[in-house]
Amino acid sequence: MDYYFIIFAIMAVGAGIFTITAKDALPSALGLLTVFVALAALYLHLHAPLIAIFQISIYAGAILVLVVFVIMLLITPDEKLGTPQKNISYRTLGAILGAYLIVLLVIGIKGIEQLMVHRGLPDDFGHPSQIGTLFFKKYILHFEMASVLLLVALIAAIYLAKKKV
Amino acid sequence: MAGINHYTILACILFGLGVIGFLTRRNTLILFMSVELMLNSINLLLVAFSATRADMGGQVMVLFIFAVAAAEVAVGLAILICLFKHVRSVDVNRFNLLKW
Repeated sequence: MDYYFIIFAIMAVGAGIFTITAKDALPSALGLLTVFVALAALYLHLHAPLIAIFQISIYAGAILVLVVFVIMLLITPDEKLGTPQKNISYRTLGAILGAYLIVLLVIGIKGIEQLMVHRGLPDDFGHPSQIGTLFFKKYILHFEMASVLLLVALIAAIYLAKKKV
Repeated sequence: MAGINHYTILACILFGLGVIGFLTRRNTLILFMSVELMLNSINLLLVAFSATRADMGGQVMVLFIFAVAAAEVAVGLAILICLFKHVRSVDVNRFNLLKW
């Protein structure tokens, strides 16, 4: 049996259930972070190290931080988040996440090659240089369109969040 | 070794969780996070098929989905802040200005 897959699949499904059942938005965001970390670990298993790194840096690092910032901005006065929490969901989930992070780091130090199951793929499959070549040769038009899309989204977000619309 | 079937089932479960969360919750932020969950399950499916078929186009497509998701979250959260300024709530049932 593939224990690596089972561990992280259970982690992803459990954290997904926690995400959609949590009472507040902030524990829900913590559950979503756990899903992202688990999926990043599964991407490593699937010969996609670049996707795994971007999963952590873009999803967990940028998108989720933005969501958490908005949660902080939108706390209504009747939700008192400053009071100490009765339930232990934060502490338990944080401990689980920390333990998995340690496992991930140890595995990463021991070598990423051992992690990637041999699937009969070429050696440089999923290598960042291969993806970069694809981006700048075959998908150059799509790449430019994605950058224009991000520019439009940036302008729209600034315009919408202005004081007076 | 986990095959493509395992990854497909996992992606289906995550997508289903996202749909359930989107349809049952009323907090707009949790709706956003459910959409992210669905996007992530599709990413997992694309990467799994990319590894199975030895075609790196799937991984490139995942990177494009990252860009689209970033744009979606930026605009969506800005709209949400605007709505919150008017309605003072994040409950989707309160956003009924366009209802008739």
